Amino acid sequence: MVDSKHQWKAWIYLSPAIVLLLVFTVWPIINTVRMSFLENYSGLEAVGGATFEFGIGNFQKVIEYKRFINCLKNTILLCVLTVPVSTILALLIAVALNSIKGLQKVLQTIFFLPYVTNSIAIGMVFAAMFNIVGSFYGTQNEIVVTAGIINNVLEFLGFERVNWINAGSSYEANIIVMTVYIVWNALPFKILVLLGGLQSINKQYYDAAKVDGTPRRRVFTKITVPLLSPMLAYVVITGFIGGFKEYSSIVGIFGENMGPVDDVGRLNTMVGFIYDALETNKQGRASAAALILFGIILVVTMINMQVSKKRVHY
Amino acid sequence: MKKRIISLLLALAMMLSLAACTGGETPVETTGSNVSGETTPVESGVKTNFTVPEGGYDGSAVTITFYNTMGASLQAVLTTYIEEFNKLYPNITVVTEQIGNYDDVRSQISTEIPEGNQPNLAYCYPDHVALYNLAKAVTQLDSLIESDIEITRADGTTEILGLTDEQKADFIEGYYNEGKQFGDGLMYTLPMSKSTEVLYYNKTFFDANNLTVPTTWDEMEALCKQIKTIDPAAIPLGYDSEANWFITMCEQYGSPYTSASGDHYLFHNDTNVEFVKKFRTWYQNGYMTTQNIHGGYTSGLFTAEGNDIKSYMSIGSSAGATHQLPGVGDNGQRPFEVGIATIPQVDASNPKVISQGPSLCIFQKSNPQEVIASWLFAKYLTTTVEFQAEFSMASGYVPVLKSVSENPLYQDFINSADGGNFIAALSAKVCLEQENAYYTSPAFNGSSKARDEVGALMTKCLTETDESKIEGYFEDAIDECEY
Amino acid sequence: MAEKNITIMHAKDMGKETSRQKIVKLAVKFFVYAFLILMALIVLFPFYWMIISSLKTLDEYRLSVPTFWPQKVMFSNYAEAFTTGNLGRLFLNTMYVGVVSTLLSLVITVLCAFAFARLEFKGKDTLFAALLATMMIPGELFTITNYSTVTQLGWMNTFTVLIVPFLVSVFYIYLLRQNFLQIPNELYLAAKVDGTSDLKYLWKVMVPLALPTLISITILKMMGAWNSYIWPRLVANDEAHSLITNGLRNAFTDTTGDVNYPVQMAAVAIVSAPLFLVFLFLRKYIMAGVSRSGIKG
Repeated sequence: MVDSKHQWKAWIYLSPAIVLLLVFTVWPIINTVRMSFLENYSGLEAVGGATFEFGIGNFQKVIEYKRFINCLKNTILLCVLTVPVSTILALLIAVALNSIKGLQKVLQTIFFLPYVTNSIAIGMVFAAMFNIVGSFYGTQNEIVVTAGIINNVLEFLGFERVNWINAGSSYEANIIVMTVYIVWNALPFKILVLLGGLQSINKQYYDAAKVDGTPRRRVFTKITVPLLSPMLAYVVITGFIGGFKEYSSIVGIFGENMGPVDDVGRLNTMVGFIYDALETNKQGRASAAALILFGIILVVTMINMQVSKKRVHY
Repeated sequence: MKKRIISLLLALAMMLSLAACTGGETPVETTGSNVSGETTPVESGVKTNFTVPEGGYDGSAVTITFYNTMGASLQAVLTTYIEEFNKLYPNITVVTEQIGNYDDVRSQISTEIPEGNQPNLAYCYPDHVALYNLAKAVTQLDSLIESDIEITRADGTTEILGLTDEQKADFIEGYYNEGKQFGDGLMYTLPMSKSTEVLYYNKTFFDANNLTVPTTWDEMEALCKQIKTIDPAAIPLGYDSEANWFITMCEQYGSPYTSASGDHYLFHNDTNVEFVKKFRTWYQNGYMTTQNIHGGYTSGLFTAEGNDIKSYMSIGSSAGATHQLPGVGDNGQRPFEVGIATIPQVDASNPKVISQGPSLCIFQKSNPQEVIASWLFAKYLTTTVEFQAEFSMASGYVPVLKSVSENPLYQDFINSADGGNFIAALSAKVCLEQENAYYTSPAFNGSSKARDEVGALMTKCLTETDESKIEGYFEDAIDECEY
Repeated sequence: MAEKNITIMHAKDMGKETSRQKIVKLAVKFFVYAFLILMALIVLFPFYWMIISSLKTLDEYRLSVPTFWPQKVMFSNYAEAFTTGNLGRLFLNTMYVGVVSTLLSLVITVLCAFAFARLEFKGKDTLFAALLATMMIPGELFTITNYSTVTQLGWMNTFTVLIVPFLVSVFYIYLLRQNFLQIPNELYLAAKVDGTSDLKYLWKVMVPLALPTLISITILKMMGAWNSYIWPRLVANDEAHSLITNGLRNAFTDTTGDVNYPVQMAAVAIVSAPLFLVFLFLRKYIMAGVSRSGIKG
C-alpha cells in the first residue's frame, strides 16, 4: 500500500495544476451546470433584471430541436471517419520520417510548416480547391467559370467533375470534403506527437531486431506499434474528444452557413448549435447542449479507455 | 476506471443539483451595478433610462472609450477630428479601440456588459443594440436629444446639449429613423456612416446596344430577356446579397417581413411567396445569379473580360464601387465604362432601397457625465459637416447629413464622378439623389437570424427545380426563426 | 511487454544480400520517399498559398479564377504590413507572454504528469478521469465565467491575465504522462533503491528522456500565444499589453471594413518567420532521440 508520506508528496506535485484548474476550469463548469438548469437563462437578461426559474426546460428545448439529430449525426460521423484515417496516416508518416536518411531534414522541416501557416490561408486554399464558380450545375444552362483544382485534376485523369460544396452538392460529397479537410488539419499535430513518441523508444529494441534480421513489417507491428501505443492511445482519445467538438473546420469550408448554400445547416454540429445559441445570448440552452455533448464524449472516452487498457503497453 | 468515472458522474450530479439550487434562489447577477434598468421620467414626458443632470456637462475630466471597426486610413480621419473636438471640450479624452469586425464588437461588448466593462460608445448594427438591450445597457437618447440646456465650450462659443430642429432636419430621414426601430419608438442610435445597394451596369455595352437602364423589376425582366438574345452565354444580372434582395422586395411590395414587437417573423405570406416564385423562374432561365449560388463575387462576373462568361449588371453595396470597376488593360484603358443607378423598384414613383452601415450607440454608465460626454462626441461626429464629408470620401460610405452635399470639398468630389477612376464619387452621387428612398428593418434580439434565414430561403428557392416545394421552405424558415 | 516478442538470436550473415532482396529494399525505399514527398506537398500547399497570397494585389486576390503565381508581385504588401501594424511593440509583448507562459506551463505540466505517471496516491485514477472530463466541455462556455473571474481579481490589462488562466492544459499533461509511461518503470525502481530523490530522478532521467515531447509541447504552447485572439482582445486591449494577432486582425482592413487579405498574409508571414527559425532550431532536439541523450534504458 502507499504510505502517507508519498501521498503528501504527490499532492504537492499536483497542487499548482489543481489550484489553477479549480479557478479557471472547474468553476466555469459549475457555472455552466447552473445556467443549464435555469429556464431560458441569458446573462444579459439577468443583468437587465430578469429572473429565471429552475427547471429542465433547456434540455428539453435542445432535444426537441428538429435538427438536433442531424447535428448529432454529423458530429459522430465526422469523428468516426476522421480519427482513424488521420491517426493511421500520421503514424505512417512519422515512422517513414523516422526511418529515412536522405532528405530527412528537409522533409521534417516541411512537416513543421503547417504550424506557421495562418488558419485563414488554409481556408483560402480549400476554397480554391473544391469551390466551383458558376451556376446551374448539371443543367443544360450550366455555366462554369472555374471548377476548382481538385476537379481540374479529376478531369485531367478522365473522370467526371464533382459538385463538392456548392448549391446542389450531395451530402456524401460534403462529408468527403470535410473528412479531407479535418484529416489535413489534424495531421501536423499528430505527426509531431508520434515523432516525439518514436524518439522515446529505446534504440536497443531496433538494434536487437536488426541483429535478428526481423523483417520490416514485423518490426513495425511487433516493436514500433506496441511501444508507441501510449502515444497512439493519446492521439486517438484526444482525437475523439476534439472530433466531437468539431465546428471551426466546417466554418472554414462552408462559412457560417454550415452547409451548401441551398441547404444551410446541413453540416451543423453540436458545437455549432452551441454557438448559434450563444449568438443570441441563450446561455441556458447553450449550456444544456454542452452538457449533453459532455455526456456523449464521456461515454465514448470510457469505451476508448477500456479498449486501450487491453491494448496499450506501458 | 469505469467505476471511477461513474462515481465521478455521481459527484458531478450532486454538484450540479447544488449549483442549480443556489442558482434558483439568486438567479440575478448583480455585478453590473452601473447598468441601471430603471426608467425615469423626464420633463418632456418621454420616459427614458437616462436623466440629463442639471446643467448638462459640468466640464469635469472624463475618459470615454469608443469601439469601432475602422481601418488605419479611417482611423487617421477620426484622430484629426478628435483633436478638433478636444479644442471644444479639452477635458473629454476619447480613446478609440479598433475591435476586429462588427461581429467581434458585438460579442466583445456582450461579454463585457455583465461586468460593467462595456465601452462608452460603439459602432453598432440594430440587432446588436437589441442584444445589448436585453441588459438595458444602451442609453435611450430622447432626453438628450430634447434637452435645451446650453453648454459653453472651451473656445467661448455655446451649443445646445440636444439636437436643434435644423440639425434633426439635416439628417437623411431614413437613416435617422433607424434609431427608432426597436419597437418602443424611443431613439437608441445615431447614424454614423451609411451605404446602400445600387445597380452597376456596363454602360459601354448598354450604349452600344441601345439598352435602357431598368427602373422597375418588370423592365428588368424584359431587359434580361433582351440581353440573352444579344449574348446567350451571359448571365445578365448578378445580385450580391440574397437577404437584402428578399427584405427589399418585402419593403417595395409593402408586405410584412418582421416586427419588433409581438409576433416577430411575418415573412411567410402570399406576396412574398409570389415574388420568390417569379425570381426562381428568372434564375432557371439564366437571367440572374447571386453571390452564394455563383460561388464567387458577382463583381467578378461583372468585371470579367474577353470571352469569359460575364454579367452586364450587378447589384451590390454602394461602398464597394471600386470592386465593380474592371482593371486597366494592356492598352492602358479600362475595357468598359461603368454606370450606376438606383436599383429596380416595384413602383418607380415610390422607391425603396436598403440602408446599411454602422450607427453609434451610447452605453449606460454610473457616472452621468460620461454619458453626457459620449453624447457630445457622438453628436459631434454625426452632425459635423466637415467630418461627415471627409469620412465619407475616405470610406466610400455615404454621409448621413443632407448639407454635406453643399460642402465645397465634397462638391468637388461629387463633381468628379465618372464611371472610371472616380467611380466611388459616382456611387455616392447616386446614393445622395435617392435620399428619400431609404428604409430600415425592425430590430430585435433575433432579427439577424431572420435575415440569415430569408437569405438562405431565397437561395434555396432560386435553385429549386420543383416549384411546389417553395411553400414548405417558407414554413421551415419560419420554424427555424421561431426556435 | 514488447520485449518478449524479440528473441535475441545470433547475428546472421548480414553481409550478403541476394539481388532480389536488393530490389525489394530499393522498391520499399522508393515507396517511402514517394509517400513522404506526396504528403509533404499536400501539407505544404497552404503555406505556399499564404506566401503567394501575400504577394497579390487585392483585386487579384478577389478573382474568381485563382492564380497560382501573382501576376504582379507586390513586395510592397510587406512594407505596408510592417508600417501599418505597429508590429514591433506587439511582437515584444507576444514574445514575453509566449516565453513566460511556456516556461511556467512546462514546469506545471512536468510535475503533474510525473505524479500521474510514477507516484502512487489515493484517488489517482478518479482525479485523472476528472481531468480528462474537463476537456470534454466546449471551451467557448468558459469565456464568460472566466472573464467575470479575472475582472473580479482586478487582472484586466495586465500580463497576468494573458498568462495565468491558460497555464494548465490537460491536453499536455495527458500527453506527457503517456510519454513518461513509455519510460520503463525499472529505471524508477532502480533509482529508488539508489536513494535518488523523486525530484532529482525527474530532472535527471525523466525530463531528458521525454525531451522530444517537451519540445513538442513548447512548440504548441508558443504557437498558442501566437495565435490566441479572442481572450487577449477581451482582457487586455490596451496597447501596452496587446498581442500580435490583435494587431494583425485589426490593422489591415480596407475602407469598407473588408479585410485586406494580401497585406494581412504578408504580416502573418513576417511575424511567423522568427517562430519558424526557432522551430528549425528545436527540430534537432526532437529528432535527437534517446540514443544521444546518454541514458541507456
